[in-house]
Amino acid sequence: MSLSHEREDGLIQKLKENFPSDIKETNVIRRARLEVTVAPERIKDVAIFLRDKLGFDHPNGVSAVDYNRENRFEIVYHISSIRIKEMRDLVLDLKESVPRNAPKVGSLVSVWSGVENYERESFEMFGIIFDGHPRLEKLFLTDNWDGPPPLRKDIRFPTD
Amino acid sequence: MSAPPKPPPLTTVESTETSDSGAQTLTLSVGPQHSGSGHMRLIVEVDGDIIVNVAPDPGYVHRGIEKIIELRNIIKSIPVIERPSIIDASNLNHAWVRSIEEIQGVEVPRRGQYLRTLLNEMNRIMSHLYWLSIYGVFLGHTTMFMWPLGDRELFIDLAEKLTGARITYSYLVPGGVRRDLPPGFAEEAVKRTEYFEKRLKEYDRIFFNNPLFTSRAKGIGVLSREKAIELGCTGPTLRGSGVDADLRKDEPYAAYPELDFEISTRPDGDSFSRAMVHMDEMRESCKMIRQIVKKIPSGPIRRKAPIVLPRGVAYGRVESARGECSFYLIGEGGDKPYRARYITGSYRNMAAIPAVLLGNRLADMPTAWWSIDYWPVEADR
Repeated sequence: MSLSHEREDGLIQKLKENFPSDIKETNVIRRARLEVTVAPERIKDVAIFLRDKLGFDHPNGVSAVDYNRENRFEIVYHISSIRIKEMRDLVLDLKESVPRNAPKVGSLVSVWSGVENYERESFEMFGIIFDGHPRLEKLFLTDNWDGPPPLRKDIRFPTD
Repeated sequence: MSAPPKPPPLTTVESTETSDSGAQTLTLSVGPQHSGSGHMRLIVEVDGDIIVNVAPDPGYVHRGIEKIIELRNIIKSIPVIERPSIIDASNLNHAWVRSIEEIQGVEVPRRGQYLRTLLNEMNRIMSHLYWLSIYGVFLGHTTMFMWPLGDRELFIDLAEKLTGARITYSYLVPGGVRRDLPPGFAEEAVKRTEYFEKRLKEYDRIFFNNPLFTSRAKGIGVLSREKAIELGCTGPTLRGSGVDADLRKDEPYAAYPELDFEISTRPDGDSFSRAMVHMDEMRESCKMIRQIVKKIPSGPIRRKAPIVLPRGVAYGRVESARGECSFYLIGEGGDKPYRARYITGSYRNMAAIPAVLLGNRLADMPTAWWSIDYWPVEADR
């Protein structure tokens, strides 16, 4: 396995050229795994660029992470490419951060329709509101669940 | 003599609405009893008997596994991680240990990699056989229910010899596997896979070439290539729509780079295509099992790995029986993960359920729906 990250660096380069002020942070975790943090208000434009110009047409999932000590939520879109065969091993984590007391972001369902269920899960488990989501309702939790979003870090279980 | 008065219409309907065409539609609740839906509910709206709207309602077997593994050390989590899909336990287990090893920087010895692949491929066959037997039930074919469950025992016995457990093995641990090959395993595996391949031909004769099945599956529940990619589908569902994506080839892991196998795809995207992809995969898995027991290198099966998850991030993924299973794992230096996001094949393919059902007749629902191989427990986690 080669240690050079030419392909990954090339992708980051292209993103930085097109969105010089919106790409906040980039990181190559290892070969074929990279993270790109963008400003929440421009994530949709970056996503459309990734889909249309760089071939990331396949949503793999969405994760939400609660950094309660830093008072923020992080939303991570894991995306990959089917169209470009040489890039199928690559997963790009498109990240955005929102303050924990006002967790509201734009939905990316209009970019990748497959993220609909994952965004719904992040909504019910973390209380993050996705603006523009076609059906922002509970997915796994029961309809009469009225407790706090259960995957947040401050929710303790009796067995903790 | 006047005609008897007409009985009032039966009220088995949740609500009635008027569709765009002006016709009245019925909203039916399919499930959550496990008679034709799995442990989940599908809210289906029909116009006559044409499905015009579908909303999956999962969550009946949700256990909050992501929270549970945040509270346990990484070894104690292994049996929990297998629970969502016990018929495919070792593949889910593999995704977990892969992401841990990635953060720890532990390399697994080659013999350990081969043993992992061996159990993974046996699990793929077992899982597909379970799927096939339920498919038989759904289509009213009793023989197709009995045979796969009976033949599944061939591999369950093999797995028991190898790991000591029939279904949930907890066989893969960070750094390698728990046990080495028992004596006589290779001969037994060859014998059983060869016998099983003969049985697959009989499956073809009784079910897959049978008009009872083909007339109900061909052209039903079509999922186009573009739609499958856009919805993020994975596994046999994606390959049934003509996409040759398979992590075993695209991002080769464990012993897969050294094995000779084909990726099966079908271009049509209908229920028949998805079913045949499952059949082809079982044949390929048999070949792989024989290659593994022949080529397996000697050496250690396990390397020492710490029970600590160092600071770091990993996205570990494997090709499980139902598609890509992945962990987005964040370590912070303790023995527990800070966050372990668990995304399974069934969860990803849930998005395809409305797509394959819309526009079909209600009577075609079992054929179209179960061809996705959606396992509700695996999706709910």
